[in-house]
Amino acid sequence: MKHILTIANDEIRYWRRSKLAVGVLAVGVMLTLASLLLTNARMAEAAHKRAELQTEAHDTFLAQPARHPHRMVHYGHYVFRTPPPLSAIDPGVDAVTGTSIFLEGHRQNTAMFAERRQSAGLAVFGDLTPAFCLQVLAPLLLILVGFASVAREREARTLDLLTAQGVSLQSMVFGKAIALMAVGAVMIAPLAIAALLSGESFAIASLFSAGYGLYLIAWCSLTVFVSAQVKQPNMSLALLFGVWALVVVLTPRIASSTAATVVDAPGKIATDFAMFTALREVGDGHNAADPAFQKLRANLLAQYNVDSVEELPINIRGVVAGEAEAQLTDVMNDFADRRMQNEAAQANVARQFAWISPLLAIRNLSATLAGVDLETHHRFLREAERVRFDFVQGLNKVHAEVLTYKDDMRRSSDPAAEKRTRVSAENWKVLEDFRFEPASAVERIKRAFSPLSILLLWIGAIIALITTVKRREI
Amino acid sequence: MMNALKREFRFLLRQRAVIGILLGAFALSSIAVWAGVSEVSKQNAEITALLEADAAERVAAIEGQSNYGGAAYYTFHLTYDRPSSLAFAALGVRDIFPWKHRIRMLALEGQIYETDGGNPALSNSGRFDYVFVAALIAPLLVILLLHDLCASERAAGRYDLLVATEGGNEAVWVTRTCVRALALTVAVTTPFLLGALVTQAPASAIAAVFGVTALHIAFWALLAYLVTSFKFSAPTTATLLAGFWVATSFVAPSLSDSAIEQAVPSPEGGDIVLQQREAVNDAWDVPKDVTMRAFLEQYPQWTEKAAIEKPFEWKWYYAFQQVGDMSVAEMAKAYRTAIEKRYALAGVAALASPPALVTRALTRLADTDVTAALNYEKRVRAFHEDLRMFHYPLLFEDPPYSAGILENLPAYSEGPSKAQS
Repeated sequence: MKHILTIANDEIRYWRRSKLAVGVLAVGVMLTLASLLLTNARMAEAAHKRAELQTEAHDTFLAQPARHPHRMVHYGHYVFRTPPPLSAIDPGVDAVTGTSIFLEGHRQNTAMFAERRQSAGLAVFGDLTPAFCLQVLAPLLLILVGFASVAREREARTLDLLTAQGVSLQSMVFGKAIALMAVGAVMIAPLAIAALLSGESFAIASLFSAGYGLYLIAWCSLTVFVSAQVKQPNMSLALLFGVWALVVVLTPRIASSTAATVVDAPGKIATDFAMFTALREVGDGHNAADPAFQKLRANLLAQYNVDSVEELPINIRGVVAGEAEAQLTDVMNDFADRRMQNEAAQANVARQFAWISPLLAIRNLSATLAGVDLETHHRFLREAERVRFDFVQGLNKVHAEVLTYKDDMRRSSDPAAEKRTRVSAENWKVLEDFRFEPASAVERIKRAFSPLSILLLWIGAIIALITTVKRREI
Repeated sequence: MMNALKREFRFLLRQRAVIGILLGAFALSSIAVWAGVSEVSKQNAEITALLEADAAERVAAIEGQSNYGGAAYYTFHLTYDRPSSLAFAALGVRDIFPWKHRIRMLALEGQIYETDGGNPALSNSGRFDYVFVAALIAPLLVILLLHDLCASERAAGRYDLLVATEGGNEAVWVTRTCVRALALTVAVTTPFLLGALVTQAPASAIAAVFGVTALHIAFWALLAYLVTSFKFSAPTTATLLAGFWVATSFVAPSLSDSAIEQAVPSPEGGDIVLQQREAVNDAWDVPKDVTMRAFLEQYPQWTEKAAIEKPFEWKWYYAFQQVGDMSVAEMAKAYRTAIEKRYALAGVAALASPPALVTRALTRLADTDVTAALNYEKRVRAFHEDLRMFHYPLLFEDPPYSAGILENLPAYSEGPSKAQS
C-alpha cells in the first residue's frame, strides 16, 4: 500500500513537470468550465421562457370571457416541459424533443418545437455540454496524460530498477492509476460543484457526480492497464486511442442504428390510421342523437324516471360529450401507450450496448438521474394527457350541469338562448395549474440502478484484469 | 515514380496494422451504408403505406358528408418529403424536422409544427450513416495510419536507410502518405458506391460525394504529413492531430452554434401558436364582418359574396381560420427566416471545421439538410393554399353539394426533381 501511494505521488510530480500533461489538464478543465457556462445559460433561459409561457397559457385560459363550455374544449390549452435543474449539466433529450403540446378536446397532439430545429446545426457530432465533455472528451484527455505511465518506465528500463526494489508490477499499475484518478478528479470537480449547487436534491446530485467519478475511474484503470501491457508508449497510445474511438464515438451510433433496425416503431400518423378505425365505433360526441349513445340515453331516462331527454334535469349533450371523450381517450391512450412502449423497446436495445461501451452506461445513468431521459419525456406526454382529459371532462361536466338542453339545442337559431349557453369565466377554473416535474428522486435512483451496476461491473472487470498482470519479460 | 508507388503498395500489404485499419474502415463504411439504406427503405415503405391509408381514409371521411364545408373539415391530406436516392448516405435532419404531415383546411399554423418525429432517445445519439464515417471517423483513421509514419521507421532502424535509398529527399514519405490516403479513400467510398448503385443515385451526385470524401481524407493526410514533418515523437504527433480533430469536430461547431444563436434572434415557436389560437378563437366572438373584411383584404375577389347571414356559415369559418394564419404570418416568417439565417451563417462558420463542412456538403447533396426541410415546409404551405383555392369557390359560390366534385381535390406534389430511390 505504501508503495502504491509513493508511486502515485511520484507520477503526479512527474506530470506537474510535463508540459503535455499540464496542458491537457488545463484544456480539459477549461472546456468543462466553458461548456458549463454555455449550457447553464442556455437551459436557464429555456426554463425561464417555458415557465413564463406556461403561466401565460394558464392565465389566458382563465381570462377567457363567458362562453359555451364546448368552445373552451376546442380553445384548448398549452403545456410546456420545463427542464429539471441538472439539465444545465446534461440536457439529454431536451434538445431533440418537442417542448410544448397543444391540448384540446378529442385529439392528442404531438410535442412541438424541438430546440435542435432552431440551432445552427453545426454540432451534429455532439453539443459541447458538460456531460459531453466528461463523457466523451475527458477519457481522451486522461488517455493522453496516462498512456505512457508504465510503458515509459519500461522503455527507459526504470521498471527493472523498481522491481528490483521489491515493487510489484501490480502496485505499480494501481499507483499510477490512482495518480491518473487524481487528474480525473480535477476534471470532475467543476461538474460536481455545479451539480450540488443546481438545486437538485443532495442524493441525486451526489450520485450523479459519483457516477461520473466511476466512469473516469474505469478509464483511468484501463489506460494504465494498457500502458503496462505494451512494449512501447506509442503502441499504448494507438491502442487506447482505438479503444476510445470504438467505445465513445462509434458504439453509441451503432447502438441507435441497431435499435432502429431491430425494433419497428411506426410513427404517430401511421398508428393514427388504425386508431381512426377503432374510433369510428365510439361515435361522435358532438351529436347526442348518435346511435352509439342509445344505451347511455336509456339509462339516463330510467335513472331520472322521465320520458324524454328534454325533461332531464341535466343537459344530455354534455353527458354524451363526456362519455364520448372518455371512450375516445381510452382508445387514444391505448395507441399512445403502444407507441411509447415501442420507443422504450428501441431505447432498451440501444441501452444493452452499455455492456460493450461504458459511455452508454454513464449516459443512461446521467440522463436518468438528471431527469432528461426518454422515460421523463414519456412522463411529460402522460402528464399532458392527464391535464387534457381533466380539463375537457371538467368542461363537459359544466356543459351537462350548468346550461339547459333546451337552450343548447336552440343556440344556433335563437340569440337569447345562445346568450344563456355562455357560462361565466368562473367555470374555467377546472384547469389545473400545471408545472412539469420529473419523477421523484427515489424513483430515478431506482431506475439508475441498472446503468450503475453495469458501470461497477466494468470497473470490476478492469481491476480483475490488472490483478492478473504478471511481470513481463522485457 | 511508378516503381516507388508499387513498392509502397506492396509494403502496405505486408503491414498487418495498416491492413487492419483499412479493413476496419471498409467494415464501418459498409455497416453505415447498410444502416442508411435500411432506414431509407423503411421511410419509403412508410410513405407508400401512409399514402394508401390516407386515400382510403379520405374516401371514408367524404362519405356521408352533405356540404363542402363539412367535407373539408373532416378530410385530411398526407404531405410528405420522400427521401432522395442519396439520403441513405446522409440521413441529415430528418429525425429533427418533420417529413410527413396530415393537413386539413383549418388554420395551417396550428398544424405545421406538429412533428411525427423519430425516437428522441435515438436521435440524441445520432444515427450511424455514411456522413458520420466520412466526416468524423475517416480523419481518426488517417491519424491512426499516418501519425507514426517516420517515427515507426526510425524506431525500426530503417529510417536512414530508406531516406538514403531515395536519394536523401522526402519523396518516400510523400509516396507513403499518398498510398495510405488513397487506400483509405477506396476503403471508405467503395461501400458508398455500392449503396448508390442499389438506390440508383444520379452519377453526378455520386461523383460529388466521392469527391468530397476524397478531398476530406486528402486534407487530413496533408495535415498529418505536415505535422509528421516536424519529426516529433509519434505520441506527440498523434496528440497534436487528435487535438485538432477534437477542436474542429466538437469544440468549434458547438461554440459557433452558440455564437450564431446569440447573434440571430428568433421568435419563440410557442408564441406563434399561442397567438394564432387567440386569433382563431376570438373570431367566434368578434362581429363577423370584421373577420370578413380582414379576409377580403387578401382575397378581394369574394367581396360580392362575403355577406354572412346565418349564425354559422362555413365560408365565415374558413375565413377566420385564414385570418388566424394571417395574424401570425409575420412571426411565422421571422421564425423560418431565423432558421434560414442561422443555417446560412453556419455555412460560414463551417469553414473552421472540415468535418462540419463535409456534413453540410453531403446533406445538401442528399437533400436532407435544413434547406430541404424548409423546402418541404414551403411545399406543405403551397399545398394548403391549393386546398383553400379549390374550396373557396365551393364555399362562396355555394353550388349544390356533389361528392363527385371532391374527386378533383388538389393532390400534394412531391416537389421537383428528387431522383427517387
